[in-house]
Amino acid sequence: MNRRGFLGGAAGTVAAAATCGPGQPAPPAVEFVGPEPERGHHLREGTWREGPVHETIHTDVAIVGAGVAGSAAAWRLRRAGLADVHLFELEDDVGGTARGGELPRSRHPLGAHYLPTPPPGCPALERLLADLGIILGRDRHGRPEYAPSAIAAAPLERHFGRGRWYEGLYPAAGETADEAAQWTRWHDHLRHLDGRRGSDGRPLFAIPVSRSSAELRHLDAVSFADYLDDLGFTSARLRWAVDYACRDDYGCTLAQTSAFAGLHHFLARGLEETRGGFLLTWPEGNARLVRGMLDRAGLGDRLHRGAAVVAVDPAAGELLVHRPGDGRRLRVHARAILWAAPRFVLTRLLAADPLAPGALTYAPWLVASVEVRTAPRGLGARLAWDNVPLAGPSLGYVVATHGEPADARRPGAVLTYYEPLCGDGPAELAVQRRRLLSADLSRWSDHVVAALSAMHPGIAGEITSVSITRWGHAMIRPVPGLLFGPALARARAPIDRVRPCAADVAGLPLFEEAFYQGSSAALAALVDLGRAAPDALADELL
Amino acid sequence: MSAAPGTRLLLASVLVVATCGLVYELIAATMASYLLGDSVTQWSLVIGVYLSAMGLGSWLSKFVVKDLHARFIAVQLVIAVVGGLSAVALFYGYAYLASVRPLLFSILVIVGTMVGLEIPLLMRIVGEGQELKDTVARVLAFDYVGALLASLLFPLALLPHLGLVRASLLCGLFNAVVALACARVFREHLARPRAALTQALLVCAALAAGLLFGGRLERLAERELYDAPVIFSEKTAYQRLTITRSGEDIRLYIDGNLQFASSDEHRYHEALVHPALAGAAPRRALVLGGGDGLAVRELLKYPGLERIDLVDLDPGMTRLFGRDPLLVRINRASLTDPRVHVHNADAMRWLEEHVRSTSESYDVAVVDLPDPNNFSLGKLYTASFYRLLRRALAPSGVGVIQATSPYLAPRSFWCVVKTLAAAELHPRPYHAHVPSFGDWGFVLVSPAPRPEPTRLADVPLRFLDDALLPTLFVFPRDQQPPDVDYNRLNDQLLVHYYEEDLRALPGRGGRG
Ligand SMILES: Cc1cc2nc3c(=O)[nH]c(=O)nc-3n(C[C@H](O)[C@H](O)[C@H](O)COP(=O)(O)OP(=O)(O)OC[C@H]3O[C@@H](n4cnc5c(N)ncnc54)[C@H](O)[C@@H]3O)c2cc1C
Repeated sequence: MNRRGFLGGAAGTVAAAATCGPGQPAPPAVEFVGPEPERGHHLREGTWREGPVHETIHTDVAIVGAGVAGSAAAWRLRRAGLADVHLFELEDDVGGTARGGELPRSRHPLGAHYLPTPPPGCPALERLLADLGIILGRDRHGRPEYAPSAIAAAPLERHFGRGRWYEGLYPAAGETADEAAQWTRWHDHLRHLDGRRGSDGRPLFAIPVSRSSAELRHLDAVSFADYLDDLGFTSARLRWAVDYACRDDYGCTLAQTSAFAGLHHFLARGLEETRGGFLLTWPEGNARLVRGMLDRAGLGDRLHRGAAVVAVDPAAGELLVHRPGDGRRLRVHARAILWAAPRFVLTRLLAADPLAPGALTYAPWLVASVEVRTAPRGLGARLAWDNVPLAGPSLGYVVATHGEPADARRPGAVLTYYEPLCGDGPAELAVQRRRLLSADLSRWSDHVVAALSAMHPGIAGEITSVSITRWGHAMIRPVPGLLFGPALARARAPIDRVRPCAADVAGLPLFEEAFYQGSSAALAALVDLGRAAPDALADELL
Repeated sequence: MSAAPGTRLLLASVLVVATCGLVYELIAATMASYLLGDSVTQWSLVIGVYLSAMGLGSWLSKFVVKDLHARFIAVQLVIAVVGGLSAVALFYGYAYLASVRPLLFSILVIVGTMVGLEIPLLMRIVGEGQELKDTVARVLAFDYVGALLASLLFPLALLPHLGLVRASLLCGLFNAVVALACARVFREHLARPRAALTQALLVCAALAAGLLFGGRLERLAERELYDAPVIFSEKTAYQRLTITRSGEDIRLYIDGNLQFASSDEHRYHEALVHPALAGAAPRRALVLGGGDGLAVRELLKYPGLERIDLVDLDPGMTRLFGRDPLLVRINRASLTDPRVHVHNADAMRWLEEHVRSTSESYDVAVVDLPDPNNFSLGKLYTASFYRLLRRALAPSGVGVIQATSPYLAPRSFWCVVKTLAAAELHPRPYHAHVPSFGDWGFVLVSPAPRPEPTRLADVPLRFLDDALLPTLFVFPRDQQPPDVDYNRLNDQLLVHYYEEDLRALPGRGGRG
């Protein structure tokens, strides 16, 4: 299969623009990176299930999936002093949807790229950030102080419309008095909900989401679009800004997102204007956090990369692992299995699953990292960390090189382009997924270059590399009814020795959810093994 | 097909016109990024305006119906004068006008329109009695060759050997010579041949004279920019360093902004360093910025100091101030003192690494950075930066921050004070009069609250004494703190305050 190439022939835009410039720069290098669709294909078809077993491993805990959740579980078990842990990862690189990549100019994310600083009441997450040296210490009031190198610095956001860039992510230019009033009223509305707790004493919108008060959970039954309708928020500008947030966080449109999930995005970490928090980011995105957790977990050769779990026996605590690299197969006997891979994969491997197939839906995403010779600018607001067009399906691009220190200043930049392939139901999503996985390299790279050129005419001639990542099942979709409904509870419930614990069974595709799922499952496994959790944080997690 | 002498001249003029037209555009774009900074935006704006003016010119050409030859000569002379003098005008405009932009764009529009007008006129003159396709082909071919010529000549020959001022004068002269030649060759097409000839001669003579004295003009213009003759100018990887000298007064400019004047820098640097050290016996000092070594010079007056770490982004700057005999005389070779360790790094990253990797702390820190006129500098004035600084200081340590002018940039100054308070550094703002800057502001900081200093250490000083010291901490009634928020890394309000403060000033001020 063609994962790499130099764009030529049919691939018009890039090559054409690149060959007519002065000095004839080399055409951009184009390649597919990230998860390999054919591994997913083998898992789905069960082709790796049959064959001899070369080795058998007995272990206390087996973790499946080295994304955020699996790495958090490994980190947590290590902190609890448990050493007999094996971690199996399908791909050759760790990180899952928070994987990172590298181009000559800079590292860059292939998926998840930022984490908001946690609100008060997340000691376990703060412990992680302190452990990784991201929290440097605390101020007089006990509030964490963050390492500046991890903070996304101003200018943070700008948007592109009618040929120029504007600051921020609300298209205010040309709004009517009524639209302006609606925008104010929307903020008043959020302010009114901000920081409030329900009569059960819990925050209305908590991190992790499962800790939210019961008070407003009924909002999960309606779509965010209907919710805005009911409150009379008709302004197209406002709805664009809110829709953008839903697509950005959940890969869902306003109409596809539950109102609770939508409000959670705006309120769970406190309102931007009041919380004084930051967005934490790194050139390679959240891959930095995954690497930090795995480094501290110190698994050594008990971290198995390129190792697909192809069969599961929950009652026996048995896994069958196939290594596509060398064709070797292992049998694993574990006292506890932490399923930190997407839940739908487990469904495919189980003989019988209490969870109905298709109960959880996932959004496909296209991500592309684009290396350019000179950083883009454009008319109007200056280049920001996050750069978003008003028109089209894409979310624009994030600049991986944004936070570089001044002494490393070099020309050029790496831009990471994001586009969720939104769909209304399973059928539409299947079509989008097929489109994503079947189109060839030049088709997607032309698509990305065209989208960037709409914002930056002439950028095609500046491009030196395009790395395309296709996420078939990028993220769980928090559609109305999911978060507090029966399907998710069923998806999350342990099956004998297997505990599903990736972000998808939390219902929201967020680092925090993956982290809490993974570390809570780790603690539960410790309890199963008859080992008490050794520290004060255990209470928070169990 | 053989061309008549008139046609040959006309085709030669197409070449000249095209070459000079593009050179003017390149000169304007270079001047714009030189004087106004921000080069990519300036370039594309200049090019956009110029191209649209050319479009306007071509469109206007349809209103020229008779006297084509006379009009062509007139247009040529306008281009010669406006284009030829454009660089000089821009230099002087920058020195004397509040904003050079209107002048820049007027020049662009005039030259662009005239060049746009000229090619269609030429086509029509050349085309009399010829087929359209031949005319268009020949004229455009010469036009494009001219463009190529210009894009090669400008960077390779004109700019390096002549400089902007003389390059534009030379092109003007070419335009004028074309006008002169046309006035002679086409005299029977002209209503008033004598007048055209005289005009063209006059313009030629004026531009030739300008060219002769162009070097002097440029130096004069630069003098307007810098008040004094430039004795050194270098573009490092990060900034343009310019040093001027007039008599004994030596001045350093970074990107055109005054950093110090040797005649009164002692006021600035004494006020910066010594109040912080009053009553302290520091052993380890940290200097952030201050690559000129002048703050270090003041610190070295304290014999107890064992080590000074100086962190400045620009190796070009610290090298210059470590070696140049003239500058070394001013900073008394402070940068080559064995106690001084120079680190060329981003101050924020360096400090973060330091805080992360060692527990060694500093007794005193001097933060002497350029004003927060962009986001990369603004980072070094955020609460996040100051929190690092607090961690790098010993619990009993003390620091001082140069904090812009409380008079010229009040919102910026008080924003810095507020940001230091947010970082729990117990700020004590003060100010001093430095003639070449005006009223200048500093802030004393410390992780633990400290009383206001009252007694300076016993070191040689020219400006400060114990009587003056307490008065520095007094702010008159018209300099009370305005209502401002603090500067966070993720919003950088200070950069906006600073821009607004400067915009509110009558002239240009600040030390950049
Ligand atoms: C494009 C994109 C952008 C995002 N941006 C953000 C963001 O900025 N901030 C944020 O908080 N979240 C973001 N997310 C959401 C992100 O998915 C979550 O934050 C989090 O990383 C999910 O981690 P996880 O460990 O739960 O699951 P995953 O990341 O899905 O990890 C599961 C792992 O299991 C492995 N696996 C699957 N099947 C098997 C098998 N059979 N055997 C062995 N291993 C297997 C996979 O290869 C993978 O490594 C983004 C997601 C995408 C796709």
